[in-house]
Amino acid sequence: MFLPFCLLSMAVAWGLLLYPLYVIRPFRAQGAKELVVALAVMRFRAMGMAVAVAGALAAAVWYWGREHRRVRRFFSAAGVAMVAAAALLSRVNVYELMFHPTERPTFSAAGESKLDGGEMVIAVKVSGTARAYPIRGISYHHIVNDVVGGEPIVATY
Amino acid sequence: MWRSEIDGLRLTFHLAGINNQNFLMRDEQTGTFWQQISGRAVSGPLAGRSLTLVPSDELTFALWKSEEPQGTVANDVAKYVSEYSPKDWDVRMRKARTVLSYREHGMEPRDLVLGVQAFGGSRAFRFDAVLREKLVIDHVGLEPMLLVVGPDEESVRVFRRRIAGVEPAPGFYRVEHPGPVAAALFLDDATGSGWNFRGCAVSGKLQGACLERVEAIKDYWFDWRHYHPDTSIYPSPKR
Repeated sequence: MFLPFCLLSMAVAWGLLLYPLYVIRPFRAQGAKELVVALAVMRFRAMGMAVAVAGALAAAVWYWGREHRRVRRFFSAAGVAMVAAAALLSRVNVYELMFHPTERPTFSAAGESKLDGGEMVIAVKVSGTARAYPIRGISYHHIVNDVVGGEPIVATY
Repeated sequence: MWRSEIDGLRLTFHLAGINNQNFLMRDEQTGTFWQQISGRAVSGPLAGRSLTLVPSDELTFALWKSEEPQGTVANDVAKYVSEYSPKDWDVRMRKARTVLSYREHGMEPRDLVLGVQAFGGSRAFRFDAVLREKLVIDHVGLEPMLLVVGPDEESVRVFRRRIAGVEPAPGFYRVEHPGPVAAALFLDDATGSGWNFRGCAVSGKLQGACLERVEAIKDYWFDWRHYHPDTSIYPSPKR
């Protein structure tokens, strides 16, 4: 009884973790439908993960109540840990591990920046305030959450 | 570049995935996924909504600094600067693999284009052709358009080719040896006024007047074509 229940929880948890990673990976063409499914999985999987962990845990508690052999108890606990591991890993944003965000961007006056004059920048002007983002920096971070001229903007590249 | 506010709600974005080599971002507040190039919400509570565009400009730092001496520039993040692309990143990227190709009309996936979507039309201007020609007289949709290469020979701006009270739309030609940045870079054939890279007349009858800027995005052909399936190409592909 325990084994099928634990395996089912594991399949659900690891499926929820791996499917979006499989679909949304670099150098792979994303089909419109599979992308919609993968994004929906990412949005709702916290619930699925909670159900899987709770189910595996409940099954293990039930199993420990009737099984006293240590080795078997150990393997049942390991099964629950595998489900919990998938749940925890699903909370990691792998894209931000590859390209770290700029949490608190800092700025220099145009005249004081040491940036080479030949480097390309992407520039905006909002309510009279001008700001430039060097492309080598923003093409790594991809996103800068910023406020320019009092307006919240997201600089992307 | 987008305004990060929708219906009075301020959004904080995170890198959250990739869709055919154009990235997806997710906002912390609603969990909605957004496509970077289009500013459109593709999944989540705000699906179908679009962020408001903030006009931007891609140019060399030296040119930007001369136009905006009071401006501020984002600093490199010291902790990650070693992970940034090398200075020749643009050359390397030309060779990078793509998953979409759209090899048509003689275009290669990584050919750089300046994409303009305006006035009911989408047009991809081959970047190398624009740099070579330095000044392009053309149309997007039915609207007369002017593309000008900046004094740094690397930046391009797009303007609506209209001057109030001048019919038909004027032609423009380039000054052979332009002076400093603020000086006239091109002249119109209706009044002979001199215009600078900002699109403002600095000499002649129309001094003080400015042309209307049109948003353009420098992009790879495959990416532009993917989001603008009806795009036309400049110069016209050879048959």
